[in-house]
Amino acid sequence: MPRSALATNKHRPLSKGPRASHELYPAISVVLASSLAVLPIISQNGWWPNFGLVMLLSWRLLRADAWAAWVAAPLGLWNDLVTGSPVGLSVALWTAMMLAMDVVDRRTMWRDYWIEWALAAAFIAVAEIAQWRAAAIAGAPVRFATIWPAVLVSALLFPIAAYLVARLDRWRLGQ
Amino acid sequence: MAAGARPRPGWSRRAQYGLFFGFVVAVAAIIVGLVMLTLSLVAPKSYATIRGAALDVTAPITGALREVVTTTTGIVSGAGDYWNAAQQNGELKRQRAAMMRRMVEAKAITLENAELKKALALRERDRRTVATGRIVGSSFDSPRRFAVLSIGSSDGVQVGMPVRAADGLIGRVVETGRLASRVLLVTDRANIVPARLMRGGQPVIATGRGDGTIDVRPLEVGKNPFIRGDLIITSGTGGLYPPLVPIAKIIRLDDDGAIALPLADPGRVSFALVEPPFEPAALAEAARGTVEP
Repeated sequence: MPRSALATNKHRPLSKGPRASHELYPAISVVLASSLAVLPIISQNGWWPNFGLVMLLSWRLLRADAWAAWVAAPLGLWNDLVTGSPVGLSVALWTAMMLAMDVVDRRTMWRDYWIEWALAAAFIAVAEIAQWRAAAIAGAPVRFATIWPAVLVSALLFPIAAYLVARLDRWRLGQ
Repeated sequence: MAAGARPRPGWSRRAQYGLFFGFVVAVAAIIVGLVMLTLSLVAPKSYATIRGAALDVTAPITGALREVVTTTTGIVSGAGDYWNAAQQNGELKRQRAAMMRRMVEAKAITLENAELKKALALRERDRRTVATGRIVGSSFDSPRRFAVLSIGSSDGVQVGMPVRAADGLIGRVVETGRLASRVLLVTDRANIVPARLMRGGQPVIATGRGDGTIDVRPLEVGKNPFIRGDLIITSGTGGLYPPLVPIAKIIRLDDDGAIALPLADPGRVSFALVEPPFEPAALAEAARGTVEP
């Protein structure tokens, strides 16, 4: 007998299914994470994490069916507009990352937390390098070494984002 | 954790097509994104309207949050000022007396200066401020150094106008919404400011390094003219930035130049002044986005 059948909690009926419009929550959480750019942070070195991207990667690594790959394009457009990065950068990059994730899903034999963290760190590094390259084309060629602190900070944020996403996923599916 | 592979479509034609068209849409989205990116890198002005609108939506929220931060830090540092107040008071009185003496000297020099200029028949342009606003936010996860200013085109701010604080130069306006604008800081790599050394007036070029510091090089090759603690001021060359605005202070020398720290920290200044460009003709060039100041 499932344990839930023995529980006396009246607020958790047995037949509890996913919450209404549960398929929207992943996208909403990424939009909110991107919107953290409105925080009054005045940074002189740009070492703050790329909140939207970290959230996106956390969702995609947790669930392959959180959204179709193209959903990353509108999410990326929003990220570009709020964070002030060149319009189109996150659109192309995030969608390409979703397709790359599909390939990674096929190729990896097994998954654990360390592999997911390493994957996220690799994707974050790719994003930072793309940002660095776009800045160079736009007339701001900074030294390559300046991207590493930002990569490190975003990579260290990933476990926290993954934890939040896992909690949110449990909540939205009503488990 | 098990591999989260998408379920295989099996023999269902409909499911297979669904997956395939999802893939096609994603590839199309990548191509559209790349086209948009190319456009925004080659012709940054093409998104001016939509980016201005995004600024208008987000900047008021940032401004309100900034108020909270300022108030909170104000309470904390305000309480700290009571510590050791008597000694601070004495120190400040001594400093004030010294300042008063310097100010009288400076006033005399200003008077003399005005008379000399009159004698040379030099005309000064009217340097009034276009608008005053607050720095509310910044780009915080990219190699670019932008700040968000709480005033926009409805206050008269235009692309290309220089922005300064009481302490020194902050940067220039690169995007405007109706309620807010985006400022390219002097620490951005793309911001090149014609400047000169305060001690001796040797012309130098100040370029941002993207990490909060500024790279300073002398215009003429020769002996490294910098000493630690030297001040860099704008020269007014190029016509965009007004002359004699302090920019940065040298903190470290390298082979043929030096690294400097900006005098106006955008995170600390209470007000930012938007000024008209020194030469009005420079505004048109800056708005076209073709010319470095």
